[in-house]
Amino acid sequence: MARHASRTRGVTALTLSEIGSRVAGAAESGRALRIAGRGSWLEAGAPVAAGETLSLAAYSGIVDYVPGDLTITVRAGTPLGEIAAATAEHGQWLPLDPPGSPDGSIGATVATGSYGPLASAFGRPRDQVLGLEAVTGTGEVITVGSRVVKNVAGFDLTRLLVGSWGTLGVITQITLRLRARSDVERTAAVAVPARGPKLAAALATVRNARLAPLALELLSPEVAEGVGLRGGTVLLARLGGNDESVNAQLAELASLGESITASDGCWERLRALDAEMTATLRFSTPLTDLPILWDALADVSVGDHLILRHATVMRGIVRCLVRTPAGAAPPAPDSLAAVARPLESARLIPERLGAMWSRLAPSSVNDPISRRVKEAFDPANVLNPGILGAAQ
Amino acid sequence: MSLNAEPARPPGGDYTLDAGLARTLAEIVGEKHVLSRQSQLLVYNSDGLPGYRRQPSLAVFPGTRDEVIEVVRALHAVGAPFVPRGAGTGLSGGALADGIVLLGLNRLKQIISIDVENRTATVEPGVVNLHLNRALGPKGLLYAPDPSSQAACTIGGNVAENAGGPHCLKYGVTLNHILAVTVVLPNGSVVTLGDEVGDHAGYDLVGAFVGSEGCFGVAIEITVRLTRAPEAVRTMLADFLTIDGGARATSAIVASGMVPAALEFLDGPTTRVVESSIYAAGYPTDAEAILLVELDGLVDGIDVDVERVKRICMDAGARNVRVARDDAERLKLWQGRKKAFGAMGRLAPHLVVQDAVIPRTKIPEILAAIHGISQKYGVLVCNIFHAGDGNLHPNIPYNADDAEQSERVHQAMREIMGVCIAAGGTITGEHGVGLDKIGYMEKIFTPNSLAAMCRLREVFDPERRINPGKVVPLHSCREWHATPAGRGE
Repeated sequence: MARHASRTRGVTALTLSEIGSRVAGAAESGRALRIAGRGSWLEAGAPVAAGETLSLAAYSGIVDYVPGDLTITVRAGTPLGEIAAATAEHGQWLPLDPPGSPDGSIGATVATGSYGPLASAFGRPRDQVLGLEAVTGTGEVITVGSRVVKNVAGFDLTRLLVGSWGTLGVITQITLRLRARSDVERTAAVAVPARGPKLAAALATVRNARLAPLALELLSPEVAEGVGLRGGTVLLARLGGNDESVNAQLAELASLGESITASDGCWERLRALDAEMTATLRFSTPLTDLPILWDALADVSVGDHLILRHATVMRGIVRCLVRTPAGAAPPAPDSLAAVARPLESARLIPERLGAMWSRLAPSSVNDPISRRVKEAFDPANVLNPGILGAAQ
Repeated sequence: MSLNAEPARPPGGDYTLDAGLARTLAEIVGEKHVLSRQSQLLVYNSDGLPGYRRQPSLAVFPGTRDEVIEVVRALHAVGAPFVPRGAGTGLSGGALADGIVLLGLNRLKQIISIDVENRTATVEPGVVNLHLNRALGPKGLLYAPDPSSQAACTIGGNVAENAGGPHCLKYGVTLNHILAVTVVLPNGSVVTLGDEVGDHAGYDLVGAFVGSEGCFGVAIEITVRLTRAPEAVRTMLADFLTIDGGARATSAIVASGMVPAALEFLDGPTTRVVESSIYAAGYPTDAEAILLVELDGLVDGIDVDVERVKRICMDAGARNVRVARDDAERLKLWQGRKKAFGAMGRLAPHLVVQDAVIPRTKIPEILAAIHGISQKYGVLVCNIFHAGDGNLHPNIPYNADDAEQSERVHQAMREIMGVCIAAGGTITGEHGVGLDKIGYMEKIFTPNSLAAMCRLREVFDPERRINPGKVVPLHSCREWHATPAGRGE
């Protein structure tokens, strides 16, 4: 089977050995580096104490794409949009839709472990990355995992690096699993109760309904409006399969509530909402606690700031978006404290919190094993120090 | 490099057992759960892969999680190296203890909890994969990873090996289904990695632990994600007169946008071995390739996809495509696949099993190369594999007591692995490295990458006392130690 026709050479303004030298130099001098992708999401994570930035934007391009293998190898600075365009030519996609724009890089997406509604059916980056190349904190290049879809050779440094926010190594190249698109895809929406036992009952019904959605997202009225849907609290579904299975699922969905006209464009608009926010908090919760968390977040008030919510129903993920009125100052960290700790069983995963992170979320790398992992891969502590919270 | 022959002895072989250890352990677990006589230990000298023999000097079988912790602490107190073991069905020699302590976890069989609404279950490591699925069946749920040995293998062993199985094409491997693991580290401390809730902030230590082949610690409690049982299942058998036809059909199905639950390939030699055994499944014996394709999901539309798979197979040159009419026929078709290893056991006393994964587009080319190699060395290669994933299992039945035959078999297998690696593949997709594939590690990883793996292992086990000598060649770690800059201390 032919390789991808327009196999790009990519931007070669930066080489792997230069990246290695930069990191090795930093380790020797003790001058920390801020590791960045295309720079579109720099306020994510806790503030980094680093004088210099190492940007991977110039380390970009598709290295290898054989459509018949349904795998792609790309440099870290490659925009998500470039991957989407190349794979669409062959009826394939990388089903990963993190908040932000198509200009965001695959490297940053993988390094931060970011994902969106499609995680419902396709999992997170940890489930989609097959292998990668990275420069560790001493400047050594390592290649881990593989380029094939199944691999258990050696200890799994791939999983360790995915979602480590650049603190264990600078991810330079990534091989990912792709999927063939379904014959038929439809987006549909229904109105659901706004809260309380009625919403909980509706979600329980949905979880056990005859649906196999690619994505199933609960939207608060403000988010629904933001993606162009009118009708209060909305359940937005992305369905795929053949005609018969998609039609059956559309009918099943219609039995759950009043149908609302929706289009495929809703999904792009949902991702783009991120740009309008001053902070994003992500929560992971048991499926049955999701409606309780949903209500708790609805009851939080933060001055003039608006709290928007959407939830990945089948994964127990709730995103809480803070929108600041035009001209107003960002919320004070303490005013968000109630948002950050709404429920005992909910785990907070900060996305875009910036300086508020350290006030709202404890360090997530302060346990003995995480500290030793960091020492093993970045002994001089020069890679994104502090971005996951400080290790004590 | 050595394969099924005798690789370098793991370092544990030098260890002299503490004289009082057996007594200490007996006080924890009870006299009858500590074995120290050579005759008793004989049954623990091999795993599912015939060809390796390593005998532990002592075997201990705790019955509770607390006993596991106490046992590991007692081993730590005297500096004793040890090897954790589930059911011993592994196919890489990974659970063999050479003159050191074997820590058996098969008595920890408790399903601690099943949360139907949240679709999670928490189990002890010795719970047998199939037993968990039997408990889940009436609740309409399943635990998706289904290794061929699922009637015997344990969830703890599955976690250690990151086990796969036929249905991993659609549902993913063990890694994708583990939420949290409580681990006893070799120094006796207990940590919980991950979170039963799913996602959490911080490093993916669960991801690092799954597939660590018993080299990081002993899992005593495992929380798994459960999957809703599909509403409908359709199983098909397509037979081809050429290998190439089966390979072309595989590519076309994978590219179609349909995601079969399983897509399995058996070549002519394998089919004929199965059909001449007690596991005969009604496979046509004159075919050179058969594909076992399973679709599952909602009942609506499933038969449309069945027709589409049929058409793809016929277009690729299938002679016939048969759809199982009922569950009995479905199970019979699967029985032949799942018991094929057992059937091969009838041909010869020993079997070399490999587990390479290759890019899916290379399947026809690699199968042709394997055929050429089998002719060159005069050996019978039975190919049976997870075609949808490109995960090959070339197997060669042979007699290890015949030195000349053994040599040909191992030469052939080395060459087969060589072509898989050259095609951009990896050396193991689901069986693990263990002892068996350690000689290939340097062919697919650079010294830096192997040294990084050693560093990760030392985070969990700085004394390298748990499952020593497995997965990463010892000298890869030594080389790292030789560079002061690499120590990071």
